[in-house]
Amino acid sequence: MNFRKDNMSPSESHRKPNLVWHFFSSVRLTIVLLIILAIVSIAGTLIPQREEALAFSQHLAPGTLKVFITLDLFDLYHSLWFRLLIGMLALNLIICSINRFPAIWKRISTTPRPDRLKPFQDLPSEQCFVTIVPREKVITSVEQHFRKRYKYFQSRESDGSYFIYGERGRLTHFGFYLIHLSILIIIIGAILGSIFGFEAFVNIQEGETINSATRTDSRGPVPLGFDVRCDSFSVHFYKNGTPKEYRSKLTFLENGKVILNANALVNHPVRFRGITFYQASYGSVAGNRVTLKIRKSATDPKTAPLLKMQLGESSPLPGAKAHFKVDEIRNNFMNMGPAVLIRVQPDQGEPTSFWIFRDQEDIQRRFPGLEKRFRKLNPSAFKPFTFVLDHIETRYYTGLQVNKDPGVFLVWTGCFLMVAGFFVAFFMSHRRIWIRISMEKGGTTVSIAGHSSKNPVGLQRELTQLTRSLEEHVSRKGLKA
Amino acid sequence: MNNSLILSYITFVYFGSFVFYLLMMVMGKGFFGKIATGICVAGLAGHTFAIALRWIESYRLGIGHAPFSNLYESLIFFSFTVILLYLIVEWRTKNRTLGVFVTPLASLAMAYASFSPNISSHIQPLLPALKSNWLITHVITCFFGYAAFGLSFAISIMYLLKRLDRGPERGIFLKLIPDTGILDDLNHQMVVIGFLMLTLGIITGSVWAHSAWGTYWSWDPKETWSLITWLIYAAVLHSRLVRGWHGKKIAILCMVGFCCVLFTYFGVNYLAGLHSYGKA
Repeated sequence: MNFRKDNMSPSESHRKPNLVWHFFSSVRLTIVLLIILAIVSIAGTLIPQREEALAFSQHLAPGTLKVFITLDLFDLYHSLWFRLLIGMLALNLIICSINRFPAIWKRISTTPRPDRLKPFQDLPSEQCFVTIVPREKVITSVEQHFRKRYKYFQSRESDGSYFIYGERGRLTHFGFYLIHLSILIIIIGAILGSIFGFEAFVNIQEGETINSATRTDSRGPVPLGFDVRCDSFSVHFYKNGTPKEYRSKLTFLENGKVILNANALVNHPVRFRGITFYQASYGSVAGNRVTLKIRKSATDPKTAPLLKMQLGESSPLPGAKAHFKVDEIRNNFMNMGPAVLIRVQPDQGEPTSFWIFRDQEDIQRRFPGLEKRFRKLNPSAFKPFTFVLDHIETRYYTGLQVNKDPGVFLVWTGCFLMVAGFFVAFFMSHRRIWIRISMEKGGTTVSIAGHSSKNPVGLQRELTQLTRSLEEHVSRKGLKA
Repeated sequence: MNNSLILSYITFVYFGSFVFYLLMMVMGKGFFGKIATGICVAGLAGHTFAIALRWIESYRLGIGHAPFSNLYESLIFFSFTVILLYLIVEWRTKNRTLGVFVTPLASLAMAYASFSPNISSHIQPLLPALKSNWLITHVITCFFGYAAFGLSFAISIMYLLKRLDRGPERGIFLKLIPDTGILDDLNHQMVVIGFLMLTLGIITGSVWAHSAWGTYWSWDPKETWSLITWLIYAAVLHSRLVRGWHGKKIAILCMVGFCCVLFTYFGVNYLAGLHSYGKA
């Protein structure tokens, strides 16, 4: 394994008597910090956080509540001490990396002598072969073949044998550094985001334009520096009624000039000038238009024609010396659904105002006699007419989340490096290969030995394969001559 | 034929495979092991077929999506990954003893999915938030991670059992379990695979969250618990690679880690959050 505690030789710890340094250079601290962070995070999922905290806090005794508030337990993940813990982990990681660097550097920068004998002790038979090809020819063809696969190639004549050394994957020792670096990059990205970015939201009615949003952490509005218009909002449903798609058509303007038209959908945000707009919610408000019918009497069996009315617009009441207008439009009046306030002004006399509901029949069923008791709720208040509300034009508003996070690029870079680091650290290894070519047993004997920083099984497979391919190569070259 | 009907039969196939693995362990006859593996492979083939069928079926309903969208489908996929990974390990190590610990896990997950009254096996349309290309990558990486941790859990149990194997009177069951050193190595390999997959799962999840909700990390309970799991396994790797811990301590830590995995998977549904599909 790569880093063992024995890397820290006593002389090294002597050179650095600094207590703080010593404290942060321990891997035991890393493990303790990881476990503390895990336990604290568990607490954070059990204690209601932020928005949910209010209801929970009412069940606490005043003393306990004070402790909770002092320790920031209702916003644990953003509390100072939680950040300090992460800071300690980062420092621990940096200091450990610096501390271990010399040992690793030494390991990768020294090339062992090619004529070492130790690797060849107890060599299994599948790692040697004997050939009748003359020694010099064997050396040239082995070197030629071997050089293609291994770097840091060296060779030496010693004690009547010819030694070749090669290695591959020196830099894999830095895989762990890559992972640790990636964590630091992610932390830096997160800090950048929290300092220079913001999270905000805005509701835009269809047809309206905004130029600022409200911060989620209720620190007031944030100006965007450009205008955003919602041209339309639509929602589609599946047959069973669950929502299928929300779509906002947005237009971005600068100084009144249209710069970009784009659709914001869930999972498909729109990015403009470094600020990202996410489809987050929607709702509807009453628009300015209504359609209604006026019956000549309460029992008029004939369907009266539909009249289109605009808010505030006055219109003569057919068949009477009076005008009427729609004074107010509500999407949900007194929890009884859509309603409008009608005001009838006779040519002579006092005006009459009353509300009419779209779901009149339903309301009559639920509250029988309501319209008799309250004149204001009686659709037949202006005799002999009965007003019937057919439809209110509703206008959607789209709820957009508006974010700016300049650290996000660093976070993705860190994530990418982390995965790359994993592959290097866990699935690649530093392999060193020694080859000895000597005259024995009436022929030229080639022995191949190796060492790997990890994955001994993989090394074994590679050595066997290498022996076979070298043997093949040598005999092919030898036979040609 | 209905895909969920096939899947409920697969529960019994895996259980049957477990019975033969158990027979092999108790009687000490390799012949039973071969039958068990055969049944297991057949089960996996049926399982794959049923998942494919479900996928096609969803397109026929006009709401086509990969079958990874609710608790039922995730349990089915979990058990699929566990068996697939196990068979790969069995093939690589040429050892069948792990099967007796793994097949019950897969069979239990299938039984829970198929027979729990709280879990609907209907194919449901995708909510807008789940409509993303990241769904497939996120689910596959997470569940292979869970499966590797599940195998690590089973290996840890084997490790602790094997430690009881002292002397000849302990019976054939313990004798058949590979040596503690081999188990320790295998456990490490599983933790490495699981950790890599979990990391990829968290990354793909946060890329997805970034495009859907605007933040790559919002401390939602599921996210937090996956981080907790990640921290625990990071501690496992550090204690092994740097502190040189081996054997029993690592086995116990791995079992704690798998409890975190289970909580990330199921427990979080009892806490509110973005991933609370358990209520569906």
